[in-house]
Amino acid sequence: MQTYGLTIPGADSRLYITPISAARPAPDPKPSSLPVFSSRTRFGSIKAKAATMNGAVTAEEKELSFYELLGIPESGSIKEIKQAYKQLARKYHPDVSPPGRVEEYTEKFIRVQEAYETLSDSRRRALYDQDMARGLHLAFSARRYQYDEGMEVKGDWKNRWQSQLSELKRRSSYKDDRQNMSWGARMRRQREGLADEV
Amino acid sequence: MAVSGTLIRPNQYFSSCVNTPSPRFNPSCRKQFCLKASAGNTDGEERKLTRKEKDGGWKIEYTAEKPATPLLDTINYPAHMKNLSTQDLKQLAAELRMDIVHSVSQTGGHLSSSLGVVELSVALHHVFSTPDDKIIWDVGHQAYPHKILTGRRPKMHTMRKTSGLAGFPKRDESVHDAFGVGHSSTSISAGLGMAVARDLLGKNNNIISVIGDGAMTAGQAYEAMNNAGYLDSNLIVILNDNKQVSLPTATLDGPATPVGALSSALTKLQASTQFRKLREAAKSITKQIGGQTHEVAAKVDEYARGMISASGSTLFEELGLYYIGPVDGHNVEDLVNILQRVKAMPAPGPVLIHIMTEKGKGYPPAEAAADRMHGVVKFDPPTGKQFKTKSPTLSYTQYFAESLIKEAETDEKIVAIHAAMGGGTGLNYFQKKFPDRCFDVGIAEQHAVTFAAGLAAEGLKPFCAIYSSFLQRGYDQVVHDVDLQKLPVRFAMDRAGLVGADGPTHCGAFDITYMACLPNMVVMAPSDEAELMHMVATAAVIDDRPSCFRFPRGNGIGAVLPAHNKGTAIEIGKGRILMEGSRVAILGYGSIVQQCVGAANMLKTRDISVTVADARFCKPLDTELIKQLAKEHEILITVEEGSIGGFGSHVSHYLSLSGILDGPLKLRAMVLPDRYIDHGAPQDQLEEAGLSSRQISATVLSLLGRPKEALQFA
Repeated sequence: MQTYGLTIPGADSRLYITPISAARPAPDPKPSSLPVFSSRTRFGSIKAKAATMNGAVTAEEKELSFYELLGIPESGSIKEIKQAYKQLARKYHPDVSPPGRVEEYTEKFIRVQEAYETLSDSRRRALYDQDMARGLHLAFSARRYQYDEGMEVKGDWKNRWQSQLSELKRRSSYKDDRQNMSWGARMRRQREGLADEV
Repeated sequence: MAVSGTLIRPNQYFSSCVNTPSPRFNPSCRKQFCLKASAGNTDGEERKLTRKEKDGGWKIEYTAEKPATPLLDTINYPAHMKNLSTQDLKQLAAELRMDIVHSVSQTGGHLSSSLGVVELSVALHHVFSTPDDKIIWDVGHQAYPHKILTGRRPKMHTMRKTSGLAGFPKRDESVHDAFGVGHSSTSISAGLGMAVARDLLGKNNNIISVIGDGAMTAGQAYEAMNNAGYLDSNLIVILNDNKQVSLPTATLDGPATPVGALSSALTKLQASTQFRKLREAAKSITKQIGGQTHEVAAKVDEYARGMISASGSTLFEELGLYYIGPVDGHNVEDLVNILQRVKAMPAPGPVLIHIMTEKGKGYPPAEAAADRMHGVVKFDPPTGKQFKTKSPTLSYTQYFAESLIKEAETDEKIVAIHAAMGGGTGLNYFQKKFPDRCFDVGIAEQHAVTFAAGLAAEGLKPFCAIYSSFLQRGYDQVVHDVDLQKLPVRFAMDRAGLVGADGPTHCGAFDITYMACLPNMVVMAPSDEAELMHMVATAAVIDDRPSCFRFPRGNGIGAVLPAHNKGTAIEIGKGRILMEGSRVAILGYGSIVQQCVGAANMLKTRDISVTVADARFCKPLDTELIKQLAKEHEILITVEEGSIGGFGSHVSHYLSLSGILDGPLKLRAMVLPDRYIDHGAPQDQLEEAGLSSRQISATVLSLLGRPKEALQFA
């Protein structure tokens, strides 16, 4: 099993953020599917706080989906998501957490935050749902939902229209063959014929 | 140095990127060069164009002052744009945006649609050469960048004003405006016509039609594409998709979802991930074949490319147009690239390029507004706050909506239909109250009318709210589907008569004529907002035949409204007398009655007392009233804000049939002149048409044999 260990600069070197259980102290009994882990993962500033994680979170919790984390069904509405988020945020906010469990609560808070951010944005939620359906559960920002999806989509578009243009060029080179009897083709042949004569 | 020469001016200073320390600064990458170009004013005002590092985009600061546009200043005609580099084009787009915001903030007009096509306009004029090449803008309200780039920049401050620039492309105005537009969905048809003409004449220019996703919902667009696919003539259609089908692009509660099944099909076009997978599959196959079989690999790739088309584009492909897209409509480089490549092909046939844009792009207040600031009055550029004048009365549209809501509260069968004009017709209010009883069919007037006919056939009471001038599009349906079968559809024709800044394309001059000639139609017109409410009630009770009423653009006169905005049905075919006088009777139809009253007051100062009557109905005519007026007066003048063949015509027909015209009566009809009245301020237009109060008074005076005094008025 491959481990993608990413060390956060300035953090303790033994703190890994892994998408799956490989590097954790407790063996993971659950079968988890291998994520297609993209090397383009980026961590926003909020993730830097995750450096404080020191294994206090259990293996099971890491496997929680965003829905399970918030305690709502997968078909939950925006309202339910908001409500759940507010409740949990109030509960786990570092300022109100019991002393001694600040780090644990902070980490939970961050996860809840991320869950809310992903699920409240319909696009990101759709992506997340897709991944879940494919059996890829990438916990805790392993998947770069934060990445500018607009850029990725537009990159897709560019590939597509470049192919389309090539195809059009190819078609256009034999479009006016004798066999094509469309009005436009006949007119073009006529015009070309005249041009040749001149 | 990435600075183009035009940026350097004696009184400017520029500094290299010092304000954004960037560890990623890479000297070899020019995009990250941050340039600050500002004109140094003595009062220290700075109008900045600051380039953002990350994506090479421009960050614009909108101020109330005239923006510095060094590059745009050098462009007077499209020919001046040919030698610009991509960076220059991007800068030009940013400057154009600033110019448009500044200009529209001073004159009012259509803002966000123009902002959405800035990059497209720049790309089109860079690649193509109007006036030889023809660019046809559908509807035309997005053509402000086009006008600026084609030599009309100095006149932009006269936009939509009397004797100024028209709000829509107009052939009389410039050779660069290839076709007059204003109603939607005509661009592909016109473009195809021009393409065929080009082919027959043996010419070699390019034709480009720019159409929006809203205009795409109209049938005519499909009629045109169907024909274009069949004829196979070279034609470029650019589908400008910003997901805003209806106007305003918002309901009262927020942004509206685009109406119609087509919009979701267009959405799917962008979202397809299958394309990517297909391509990757193709790539992996090529890899597996191995490096030695280069030719085979190349062939596979080629065939893979050939197979690939975005799902959903088959709609256009089936119609015979080659689909390219989606394309980022705000990326000048991409647009130029595509357009150049298509232009270079010898025989592409009809091609449809699907670009995605954002309405109001680049101007944050517009991007944030629910209606995207589609049509605005003067506003403050930094904030986007509009300076709306307070009026003591509401608009006729609002009174109509209020009274229709009131009627619908007591009568469940009343439903409302409009064609993508929820804001303009006031039916957004109705929609809010009765969401299931309000139907927005998209830009499809023909369908709206027959759809209403179908509703009426099953016993419902449909109110079709369509602008007078747009109803022209559905006229055959009015005749054949509604009137011939005597189905009780009610037509509420807003924007009847002259409409001011929008001009002749939106002018409702003909509705009296074309409605009153129909055998079964009841035709009425209110003279003020209270009458309008009564007529809504009247229409609601007319259940055995179709009926219509027309009302103008503008605000009410301050009439006393019925209690709770609930009108009472008036007796059909009964007019009323407003002022009693002698010798001269003025019989007005519609809101022009107010001008008649004004004329009567003017004449009072000359000791002339005239009778003013409000006909209310053109069909059936109040024959008793007319007979009485004819008997008791020497002179009868009919006044209407409509073309010949309308109210005046019906009155004279009746008078001749009844023999009254054989007698001593002097009959005169005052109608709109036999020409199109240009856009301008409403009062100017009325004067131009000869229907203002003083002109009516002048007519009376000259008929009374006092021509000298008439001249004083005229």
